[in-house]
Amino acid sequence: MKYIQLFGRVIVGGVLIYAGFMKAAGPTAEFSAILEAYELFPPFLLTPLSSLLPYVEMWVGLFILSGFCTRQAALAAALLATSFAVSVGSTFLRHIDLTTCGCFGAHSLTPHQTMVLDIVLLGLSLVVYRLSKYLPPWSLDQALQ
Amino acid sequence: MPREEICNEILFDMGVNLKRFLVGSFLILAPVIAVQSVKQTSWGPILAAPKARQMGDPGAKVVIVEYSDFQCPSCAKIQPTLHQFLDIYKGKIRLIYKYYPLTKIHKNAMPAAHAAECAATQDHFWPYHDRLFQTQMSWESLQDPTTSFMAIAQSVNLDVPKFQACYADPSRLAVIEQDAKEAQERQVAATPTFFVGDERLVGQVFATDGARAIEKALRQ
Repeated sequence: MKYIQLFGRVIVGGVLIYAGFMKAAGPTAEFSAILEAYELFPPFLLTPLSSLLPYVEMWVGLFILSGFCTRQAALAAALLATSFAVSVGSTFLRHIDLTTCGCFGAHSLTPHQTMVLDIVLLGLSLVVYRLSKYLPPWSLDQALQ
Repeated sequence: MPREEICNEILFDMGVNLKRFLVGSFLILAPVIAVQSVKQTSWGPILAAPKARQMGDPGAKVVIVEYSDFQCPSCAKIQPTLHQFLDIYKGKIRLIYKYYPLTKIHKNAMPAAHAAECAATQDHFWPYHDRLFQTQMSWESLQDPTTSFMAIAQSVNLDVPKFQACYADPSRLAVIEQDAKEAQERQVAATPTFFVGDERLVGQVFATDGARAIEKALRQ
């Protein structure tokens, strides 16, 4: 079980850190434009959201990878993955043709690939959440006990 | 429980909490520092563009540089807004068009840019540009869009034999490739991307935020 949990933490944490970093390191305006294409947010929210979301992804990713507040971080990761899946899924229903999901900055996955990735991340986050009921192995939570 | 033990427990809890606070702060600050250390804050230079690809007052205070792709639907969609801004801020803004054909996803973007560049050599860039966007849906999926481009050349009163000769000559592609290289150096990843002064606006955000960016640049 501890290896499954570690595997989940590495995958979910690694993907979130990479995704957040690629977006945060690029121009904020690029990510704003991608968010705008989803037609989900009012214009005044685009810039603050595109500035903040990449950092939230990195923080959740770092917390889950290092095993710091693991259970809460796994829950946050599950919420992020759900919101991403719902956002992408809604574009299919509304017939919005996204050329890219924008998940990893400029060079990204197609919306269908993103949907699969989000579902995998959601599943792994829930596994980590469930298995983190007790102190997770090889984690800061354990080291700081 | 003796008082000494209670005190020891409180001190132990404070120690653990302090450690957790410090580790948490480090984990929050680390990504911020990492991003700030690699984030590009200044872009490469904007090279001069020929007069044929500029619109508006040459002495205008604000210069808008547009990196665009003729096959990109979003670039076609933004055109009315762009014309509106050029009308509203007449004499105050100047538009420079830069080619950025996204050849990986738009197979006819490069031929379209080539055709527009040939129109530019006859000083008819803007009417050709407008027609390309207006007719985008009719040529975007064609195997060979040459006939459509020739028809547009005729409709905007170009010297067609001269246009044909230019279109057959690949040397004009160098101009387009130079613009595309400049766009990549300026971290332009999507079209249309506008630079209003120093501010970058991508896609339809230009329609919602463009006026504010122009006003801001005019005040500077």
